[in-house]
Amino acid sequence: MTNLSPATTEAADGTEADPAAATGAPTPSGRPRSGLRSLVPSWSPKLAVGLGLVCAIALWGLLGPLFTGDPDTVRNISMTPPSGDFLLGTTQTGQDVLAQLAQATRGSLQIGLLVGVLATMLSAFFGIIGGYVGGAVDEGFSLLSNVMLVIPGLPLVIVIAGFVPADQRGWWTIAIVLAITGWAASSRVLRAQTLSLRNRDYVAAAKVAGEKPWRVVTVEILPNLLPLLASQFVFAVILAILSEAGLAFLGLGASNSSTLGTMLYYAQNGFALQRGAWWWFVPPGMIIALFGCGLALINFSIDEIINPKLRNVSKAGGGGRELIASGAVGAGANAGAGPAANAGAGDGGDSAAPAAAVPAGSGAEHVHADPVLTVRNLNVVYQVESPVHAVKDVSLTLGRGEILGLAGESGCGKTTLAYAINRLHRPPAEVTSGSVVLHDREGDDIDVLGLASEELRSFRWSKLSMVFQGAMNALNPVISVHAQLDDVLTTHRPEMSRAARRERCTEVLRLVGVDPRRLDSYPHELSGGMRQRVMIAMALLLDPQVMIMDEPTTALDVVVQRGILREILRFRDELGFAVVFITHDLPLLLELSDRIAVMREGEVVEYAAAEELHRQPRHPYTRQLLDSFPSLTGERGSFIRTGEDRDREPADGPRTGGPRADSPHTDSPRTESPRIDSSHTDSARTGGAAAAGITDGPGAEQHPNERAPR
Amino acid sequence: MRYYIRKLAFYVVALWAALTLNFFIPRLMPGNPVDTLMARLQQRGGSVDPSVRRAYELLLGTDTQQPLWDQYVAYLGNLVRGDLGISVSVFPTPASEVIFQSLPWTIVLVGIATLMSFALGIVLGTVVGWKRGTWLDSLVPATTVLAAVPYFWLALILVAVFGSALRWFPLLGGYDVVFDPGWNAEFVQSAIFHGTLPALTIVISSVGGWLLGMRNMMVSAMSEDYILTARAKGLRNSRIMTHYAARNAVLPSVAGFAISLGFVVSGSILTEQVFSYPGIGGKLLQAVQNNDYALMQGIFLVITVAVLGANLVVDLLYGLIDPRTRAGQ
Repeated sequence: MTNLSPATTEAADGTEADPAAATGAPTPSGRPRSGLRSLVPSWSPKLAVGLGLVCAIALWGLLGPLFTGDPDTVRNISMTPPSGDFLLGTTQTGQDVLAQLAQATRGSLQIGLLVGVLATMLSAFFGIIGGYVGGAVDEGFSLLSNVMLVIPGLPLVIVIAGFVPADQRGWWTIAIVLAITGWAASSRVLRAQTLSLRNRDYVAAAKVAGEKPWRVVTVEILPNLLPLLASQFVFAVILAILSEAGLAFLGLGASNSSTLGTMLYYAQNGFALQRGAWWWFVPPGMIIALFGCGLALINFSIDEIINPKLRNVSKAGGGGRELIASGAVGAGANAGAGPAANAGAGDGGDSAAPAAAVPAGSGAEHVHADPVLTVRNLNVVYQVESPVHAVKDVSLTLGRGEILGLAGESGCGKTTLAYAINRLHRPPAEVTSGSVVLHDREGDDIDVLGLASEELRSFRWSKLSMVFQGAMNALNPVISVHAQLDDVLTTHRPEMSRAARRERCTEVLRLVGVDPRRLDSYPHELSGGMRQRVMIAMALLLDPQVMIMDEPTTALDVVVQRGILREILRFRDELGFAVVFITHDLPLLLELSDRIAVMREGEVVEYAAAEELHRQPRHPYTRQLLDSFPSLTGERGSFIRTGEDRDREPADGPRTGGPRADSPHTDSPRTESPRIDSSHTDSARTGGAAAAGITDGPGAEQHPNERAPR
Repeated sequence: MRYYIRKLAFYVVALWAALTLNFFIPRLMPGNPVDTLMARLQQRGGSVDPSVRRAYELLLGTDTQQPLWDQYVAYLGNLVRGDLGISVSVFPTPASEVIFQSLPWTIVLVGIATLMSFALGIVLGTVVGWKRGTWLDSLVPATTVLAAVPYFWLALILVAVFGSALRWFPLLGGYDVVFDPGWNAEFVQSAIFHGTLPALTIVISSVGGWLLGMRNMMVSAMSEDYILTARAKGLRNSRIMTHYAARNAVLPSVAGFAISLGFVVSGSILTEQVFSYPGIGGKLLQAVQNNDYALMQGIFLVITVAVLGANLVVDLLYGLIDPRTRAGQ
């Protein structure tokens, strides 16, 4: 792939739009759209205005010439202003401007439509075929389109038009020249999208099923490209009408037909503006502008189909989890989530088998004696059309130095709760009632929900820091690790010197076991486990009292996961902060935490010391959760893989994700994204490759330390 | 390293394609440029005897007696020597000289205007994207109207208003003819004064595209996890907006900036026509109108090379702003 710009590689993943067609930003929707319904833009004022403008002008071009009389009739009334006889006045030679306008509109639409069709066909051919077939064909096609893209269009058109004698320059010639020079940009967009579609599971399934290539392209791929094609078509029509007008204005337009461009050309040559005959000059330009504007407005609506993120904020609906994690989902990371997530989780479940691992001395009285965070009757509601009550009346107390596990299935509200504690929730999520109080080391009680925005800003991270799931996306990809650690210190500790800041950054990296030389690396140069360690180092920077960890290890393979968990325990002991540990993996919590809150549908259904919850689960849901991990019975026999280092990790048991996959509580599809650390390339993230990478991981990895970056 | 070699290879191919296109267009088009020229000459009452015809053929390099391949080799050889032929419309000035006189005007005017429009569009797009959901959202459809207006039409209306009616700016030209072109304060001042309105029209008509692209990318970037991290880190909003959201969102726009340079030069043709600006676009048009094939080919070539060169520079610099393209290639 020979690219003009590096952006194309990103565009192939769908996460970044091709700027050449700003109106057509592709983002894969993740799953195939079924039915035509999803391809029809949703109704909006923009769309209504756009359609209205386009239809009105199209009708005017279609029917106008039938009613307005002969535009070529020359009269001896030169440049008369608009009047009853001539609604838009007359030209220099006394021709009716209105009649000319109708005819010219028809001419321009004709050219625009023809060029739009031709250019879209060309770009579809080169983009889709190239992207689908790949290999040498793709190399050739994308080289061709890139060359066409850098060779400047209009000068080329002008040169070509200059060589074609005026009497042979029909509107067909102009249209073909414009189409040939105008297809390249959208071909690139289409190619990028085809590339990402080609790797989707349903396309692979069709291929495996033995469908013929043309059928895969037309049945599986083309329907998903329709919104993009429509947007590119609309774009091509606007561009064609504008280009034709420009050419005609330069005197290089079609000689035998009348378009808005030629009309402007005559108006300019007749000194319409200089002589104040605005009625001759302004209307043709207005028609072009309004038509272009109408098409652009329609394009907005098409764009919202292609890229759901562009939709109106207030329209976003659905569960809380999805809303907050939309970045991760949008990044195309959700493909193949099921098996991978289960593989990791299943292992954690087994590892908890020896219940003795639960830290002792976590009696409720002890905790209440010295709380660091108190959550009282917290309610969070997503204010959408039918409001979703994501967190219902939750009360929790976090003791100093305590690890509180927050367990529950995907979408149960645990992440929403965690974000609400730090007020990171975004509209439409809203805390409707309740209180969050942080009992500061210095003795003050901080009412988090009542903080003013600047107080909240300085509260965040210095008192309460967070570790997000999937450090792959939680770190800014374009600035170095050092800069991302450093900006915490420059913001919260402005008095620190440059050297002292660097010293502190080095120190925390060393704490989490990352070579400080990695400080000047960029996130993509680190392995997944290292990135998660960097995230933890970042969370340690300001010596916070509470750390919220939102599935910090879900995306990692089990060996790395284990190493990181051990270190979290060690930090807790050494540095004495309290942890809210969120996961769907209850057995892991049994081992790790002091107390556990089990959440279901926004409510805490059970809240008890870990050991107690394990021995005597009170709520049926907890029992169900616990029962869904077969390894808890202690029967490990047939699942054990040979060749594993059982001594090093005594808790490590069978790693197959199988039993867990059909456990009763996984009633909703997982949104946890499997992020593997084996590669940062796009292809590895898609499809079954991700799952394979993780299930193969434990056997292959022998050392808990991080591997070198690739 | 392989990354850069591939890039360079691409540019060599693109340049070759442009050169070849430039060579074949006049030869593939219906009608013979010499015939057209002769016909024009005849209309004006000139002599059309075979010697004149032969002279024109030699002049245009369309010597039909030579095999095409030899013509092609000779054409490439001439280019290497910088020989673009003799301009007919400014006879007997070499085309290269005409181009060199007009090129700086275009580069300065269009270059500055484009950079301004890009910077303005990026800044506005950043703010509009950041403040999503506020009244600023209505700017987005408004700018599409500007983007859909035919450029020359807008320019002419601005000239009519600010030039003719209000007399704030001069109507046309690149400088006041009372001054001699040169590096003196008066001339430069006059050039800036004359360039303001053309530059303004370029900025107005192209800023919308940048704004829209940047705004859409901002919206996408703002739902990324690293923005959430930045907010949780308690960073100031201004820093999150610039170093986290905009820093990532601007990448496609920078790549697009390179591509848009091609469209910029095309836009300059219309600008220069409207304002009778002494740049290269006006010269191209003049060449087309006078059937000055040598000049036409020469200018097309220079424009292509300029666009390719600018693309190459942006490409090579891109690694500086996106570390991901630096490594692993």
